[in-house]
Amino acid sequence: MIKLIVDNNEIEVEEGMTVLQACLDNEIYIPNLCYLKEMDNPPGSCRLCLVEIDGYNQPITSCTVKVEEGMVVRSNTEHIRKLQRTAFELLLSVHHVDCKNCPANRKCELQRIAKFLHFGLKLKRLEPLDREIKVEGDHPFLEYVPNRCVLCGRCVFVCKKKNGQAMLSFAKKGFDTVISFFGEDNSARVSCEECYACAEICPVGALLVKNSKRSAHQRLAKNNNSQRPRPSGRGLKKGNNSLAASIPTLPGGALKGGGK
Amino acid sequence: MNQNSKKKLTEVFASIKTEADKRFKEIKGDDDQNILIGMATCGLASGAIEVKAAFEEAIAERKINAHIMPVGCLGHCYAEPLVLIEKPGFPPILYHNVTPGKARLLVKAFLEEGDPVFEHILGSMEENDIIPSVMEFQRFNQEKRIVMANSGLIDPEDIYHYIAKGGYSALVKALTLEPEKIINEIQESGLRGRGGAGFLTGKKWQLTRDVNEKDKFVICNADEGDPGAYMDRTLLESNPHQIIEGMAINAYAIGAEKAITYIRAEYPLAVKVTKKAIEQAKEIGLLGKGILGTDFNLDIVIFQGSGAFVCGEETALIQSIQGERGMPQPRPPYPSQRGLFGKPTIINNVKTFGSIPPILKKGAQWFRGVGTEKSPGTAIFSVVGNIVHAGLVEIPMGISLRSLIFDICGGIPEQKKFKAVQIGGPSGGCLPEHFLDTPIDFDSLTLAGAMMGSGGIVVMDEDTCMVDVARYFLDFTQKESCGKCTFCRIGTKHLLDILERIITGKGKEGDIELLERLSIDIKEGSLCGLGKTAPNPVLTTIRYFRDEYEAHIREKRCPAMMCRALTAYYIDLDRCARGCDACVGSCPTEAIFTTRDRKKGIDQTLCVKCGECMTSCPVEYDAVIKVSPPELAPKIERPEEG
Amino acid sequence: MNDTAEDEEDAMLKDITSMLTYFEKHRGNLIPILQSIQEKHQYLSPLALQMVARHLKVSSCDVYGVATFYNQFRFHPPGEHQIKACLGTACHVRGGDIILENFERKLDIKAGETTPDREFSIDRVACVGCCALAPVAIVDDTVYGHMAPSKVEGLILGFEIEKEREKRKKQSNESK
Ligand SMILES: Cc1cc2nc3c(=O)[nH]c(=O)nc-3n(C[C@H](O)[C@H](O)[C@H](O)COP(=O)(O)O)c2cc1C
Ligand code: SF4
Ligand code: SF4
Ligand code: FES
Ligand code: FES
Repeated sequence: MIKLIVDNNEIEVEEGMTVLQACLDNEIYIPNLCYLKEMDNPPGSCRLCLVEIDGYNQPITSCTVKVEEGMVVRSNTEHIRKLQRTAFELLLSVHHVDCKNCPANRKCELQRIAKFLHFGLKLKRLEPLDREIKVEGDHPFLEYVPNRCVLCGRCVFVCKKKNGQAMLSFAKKGFDTVISFFGEDNSARVSCEECYACAEICPVGALLVKNSKRSAHQRLAKNNNSQRPRPSGRGLKKGNNSLAASIPTLPGGALKGGGK
Repeated sequence: MNQNSKKKLTEVFASIKTEADKRFKEIKGDDDQNILIGMATCGLASGAIEVKAAFEEAIAERKINAHIMPVGCLGHCYAEPLVLIEKPGFPPILYHNVTPGKARLLVKAFLEEGDPVFEHILGSMEENDIIPSVMEFQRFNQEKRIVMANSGLIDPEDIYHYIAKGGYSALVKALTLEPEKIINEIQESGLRGRGGAGFLTGKKWQLTRDVNEKDKFVICNADEGDPGAYMDRTLLESNPHQIIEGMAINAYAIGAEKAITYIRAEYPLAVKVTKKAIEQAKEIGLLGKGILGTDFNLDIVIFQGSGAFVCGEETALIQSIQGERGMPQPRPPYPSQRGLFGKPTIINNVKTFGSIPPILKKGAQWFRGVGTEKSPGTAIFSVVGNIVHAGLVEIPMGISLRSLIFDICGGIPEQKKFKAVQIGGPSGGCLPEHFLDTPIDFDSLTLAGAMMGSGGIVVMDEDTCMVDVARYFLDFTQKESCGKCTFCRIGTKHLLDILERIITGKGKEGDIELLERLSIDIKEGSLCGLGKTAPNPVLTTIRYFRDEYEAHIREKRCPAMMCRALTAYYIDLDRCARGCDACVGSCPTEAIFTTRDRKKGIDQTLCVKCGECMTSCPVEYDAVIKVSPPELAPKIERPEEG
Repeated sequence: MNDTAEDEEDAMLKDITSMLTYFEKHRGNLIPILQSIQEKHQYLSPLALQMVARHLKVSSCDVYGVATFYNQFRFHPPGEHQIKACLGTACHVRGGDIILENFERKLDIKAGETTPDREFSIDRVACVGCCALAPVAIVDDTVYGHMAPSKVEGLILGFEIEKEREKRKKQSNESK
């Protein structure tokens, strides 16, 4: 066991845990969207879980730092809250806020974070941004609503973890990034009808079960009233890491000069 | 290494060297005539191929015995195509802006008749009594060539040229040393990474060496995403072997047997030249299995970067080699501990590797003697923009920006005034006039709010709008953001939108403050270096040119008259010459009409503000006038048709 | 018309199948494979992406996700003549955007698009490494330095004349 101090309280947690998990387990809430307990390498992308840790000269994401004995963590300083509010307002500025008509209403992580940060769901300084989105690839059972998506990547992670292969992925880049179902033929997707892990894990209402009056969230709420379940991991199949396979072999044709 | 294998090693290399010297002598003997033509990308774009053809034809026609040698880039891109002619009895002479016509003339007049044609000479490469030496120019005098020492003087596609000039002897020396000793030497030298952040190279190597893993990787970062810099490309195109040698020394020192050169696919020539270099090195046993008879093995492969700026960032670069989306990963772990395929990996810039062989050859103390205490060695910059002698320069660290811009690169063209200099590309900052005496080194530039970056310098004259410059860089970084993290993905888009609103005259009170606040949070909150530095151009331009922002917002005026929504062209009827038609054809949108008294007017609704009419109006009239805000342009009605 | 499209697809399928045999089935080969296919076929079709996915035993959407991340990859066939206007820093400071705009206006398409007759496509690039010659445009691998709006007209006119000449040559050949 390891002892560390968070916001002047001493907590005791198991070794190897992330600071974020340690806090959440001890009822210290830190806003977070992209983190799941099962992740070996959390992406650190939503940037909401920033904290100050002694020894780091800048705020750092608590989901990417492992606990250490005697660590001193501050999660509630003015400075941290300011950064979290900015991150939150940025997410909100591309989020189509229409809670009344959203299946995730009242279970949405954004609502929870808004409340926690005393921010509300209205933009304070920024203009709303419109994203021109053309999503390629259709799915027989799932619907993706890009202007609700916060691009946390949880869906991609759970799908890969459960099925060994992601049936959905990030596509495009930068401001145009979306989640895409491109390419698989529908026979490969039959299993989706049994799964819906992605829709269940989505922290907002961006992935929905198609043609079903009840969204995955509602299904879920019925099955399990306590906490949202973490994906049952059959263990992620690790890629072949042997060195022989690890360097791209570039045979003759692959290296193209093309210059004149 | 024991005495025996040491002896063997030197023997093996000695025979290679002898071969190289022999071959080099064959073309560069005392009574050989040589024509060296700069054929890197910049030379090619200026017509070096045609020039080469003209030389070939002319010497064949006149039956002159001379070797034509394609070489890399000397760095004098403003004077391309550059040709260096070596003729017995003369010092080597450099000719600038050579055309096919000049080529034929030179063959006839100089090679045949012995008249060096003074009017086309840039200078001679050696001191002599006949021709002014290039050393009399500030540029040559103040430059100090360590990494670029052989650029433009040898054939990059012939390994023996490099070896004849002393190449690969540093590798030979390295192989006789204990790896620890090499790393010590690099640490002593104080070499800092030339890829941007200036991390101590020796320290990085030590960290990787200390990891107890069998498999390690060396990666040369030639992604060079900075949109206005081309040092790394030129080095690879001009002398790839120096980089390969540096990588090999590195691999030996940390115990790696695989290395990758990561070159962006937009650099086809660099890819081709480097590929050939690797093959040649392998052929004569300088790469591959059992290098030079030792038990050191090294394979180098080329990986072509697919055009994403963020892939210059080391963790994103690794992702892309692994076949993933090039999205940066949180550090730690650092690549030096857990990098490519989870193995310890060294990633260094091209120029960093290029500095290694000279350091090993001449020693850490010699290297420390160049440059400043905290930033020893040289810096290579591509100096472009509004500058007389655009091109590549290699200078000792510590020279001031002023001497770089005004002495070495000839200052601002057309007698315009200097306004600002952008250092470090999209991650860097814009510095105004009063920073010109800042010495060029890692720490001084960072202190001033700019950054060494990877070596792009853009000089801007008084006609450059600083708000537009900030917008330009933001447009770039916003498009190049990988989209992973919130601050950078969405934050830079807001910054860009606000800047766009300002340059189109829709700026609001409070916009400047909003830009500042957002910038500060984006810098602090972003995951990788791209987001952490993207706001720098905004912050520095606000800091040093706030009045320009205010003019755009409050008066809807662009002081530099560059922002097209805030400027207008009109024709001064008092100066316009009746019946002159010079501007009419120049206008791409047919916005220019003839008034009743046969003068010209501009239809503001059609004008796209390209400025062509201003260029085409004969100087004696000089009737086209540019104003900001656009309301200042007098209204001139287009007469009814017919 | 439909037939030729199918033939084309067939030919591409065969070709890619044989290309893939050169590459070990390793994830690290993904980008080199995509590069080789595009080099040969000018763009990546949905079929190509699926074949690559099958070869590497990853899902198609994974391949699509990677391919769409990188600027280098195209998903539609480009024009006969590819025009790239440099918008790097040096070119921007020297009016690169005006050059781009002139190409766009002249051909009546925007950057990233191809003319309906598939003759031209325009792209923006960030620095091709010839900043000293700014503003720069690249047309079919030839770099043109010191561009000006009038040079844009000249370039395109050149292609049009060339095409006209070829057409006439063809016609006269046919009539022979
Ligand atoms: C957005 C971004 C782009 C970068 N681009 C390059 C690049 O083009 N070339 C380069 O050598 N380093 C680049 N770097 C820096 C690398 O991450 C890394 O620090 C460098 O290659 C280390 O080499 P050095 O120690 O020799 O400087 C970039 C960093 C960031 C954050
Ligand atoms: S769809 Fe949901 S789970 Fe997937 S990235 Fe978007 S917000 Fe996250
Ligand atoms: S800072 Fe920008 S480029 Fe870097 S990880 Fe975040 S989104 Fe990607
Ligand atoms: S939870 Fe840590 S960055 Fe998203
Ligand atoms: S900026 Fe256009 S070539 Fe470099």
